[in-house]
Amino acid sequence: MGYTTMGFAAGVLLSVKGDVPCAPAWSFVIAALLVSGTMSFAIVPAMAASESFLAVALLTLGINFRYALYGFSMLAKWKGIPVLQKWFLVHSLADEIYALDLACTIKDPLKNRLYCLFNHGFCVGYWVLGSVSGSIAGSALPIPSRGIEFAMVALFLVIFTDQMKGFLRHHG
Amino acid sequence: MAEDILHTAGIVAVAWAVTFGLRSLPFLLFAGRGRDVPPSVERFGSIISPVIIAGLIVYSYSALEWRTAWPYIAGVLVVALQLWRRNALLSIIAGTVVYMCLLSAGCASNDYGDIVLDAAHPSIRYSAQGFLIGERYVDPRRVPSILKSYDVPTDRVIHILVDEESERDLKPARAFMGLLAHNGYRRSVLVTKKRAESHVKSEEDVTPPARGNPLAAPSSRRASPSGKRKIRYKGASE
Repeated sequence: MGYTTMGFAAGVLLSVKGDVPCAPAWSFVIAALLVSGTMSFAIVPAMAASESFLAVALLTLGINFRYALYGFSMLAKWKGIPVLQKWFLVHSLADEIYALDLACTIKDPLKNRLYCLFNHGFCVGYWVLGSVSGSIAGSALPIPSRGIEFAMVALFLVIFTDQMKGFLRHHG
Repeated sequence: MAEDILHTAGIVAVAWAVTFGLRSLPFLLFAGRGRDVPPSVERFGSIISPVIIAGLIVYSYSALEWRTAWPYIAGVLVVALQLWRRNALLSIIAGTVVYMCLLSAGCASNDYGDIVLDAAHPSIRYSAQGFLIGERYVDPRRVPSILKSYDVPTDRVIHILVDEESERDLKPARAFMGLLAHNGYRRSVLVTKKRAESHVKSEEDVTPPARGNPLAAPSSRRASPSGKRKIRYKGASE
């Protein structure tokens, strides 16, 4: 499962570069609250440098702006879902989860809702699991860490490459 | 310590608030209407998102060893792999591993080429203007990796030479020791003027000549007129 591995990498990064006490606990909080792979990486240098809240807000705004667009395509699909369940779905609307939601072709609203809830639940679970075990491994094992910060840049490059491909397909 | 935890918690809270706000935006805007995406919003998004990510790429490169060729080689590899295999995980892991290998194989000496550090008697100077190794100002957060690149063993005693005028405020220096300890270098020693003599005499070659006279700052960065430039490093643990 891709989410566990990505989470693992984010956890390792947090524990070796985050410069915070009790990294696994922070990993858990970050993974469960943000449910955002990119932000889990990007927040590490911000934590290490004690960045100002405004800088963090702007950084988050830039990185996660795309999430604001995902919701639009879910408006019709998620109509009529009870409020709490809906907010959980909204809370965990991340890249790959969104892609899986979109790929679901089930027409029946109830089954579709169950599918989405399961999808989100499992993905978040795997994600948190990966993050926490990654940060435990990172604090316990001497994982060579020099240069590991490239993972975040690579993630940006991957997102950008995919976006450009989509963009060129639409407009080129 | 408690302040640090609060600040970290604040950072996470802010990041969460913004993330959740963005995610719920369409649901708040179009509550109950179930409309499709307005084409203008979709167009705006398809243009602005890549621009933002491109900006982030440029910005995040500044945290890498961007003066060397390695991050660019690894970057090209990531993009090529992603175009070819479309497997995000593969692209990221391969790129990162290659970058880490290139770094440790190729440029341990290039990175900090103009820093002169005596690995046998490592010493770092703490002046009102910042931390120096030899005659060069360094970002304190990068000192552990510099020490590592010079193969300084973690059990070696590292002297932090405190300028006379900085002796009043040792907080940043102590925070710096905490940072060193956090990275395994637990045996750092603060050397103040009174106790410095014996150490400094034997280490004349690694001690910057400006030591006795803090205002004669090295040419790489001029001392600010007030001589009280705040050190930008905030301690992680003390």
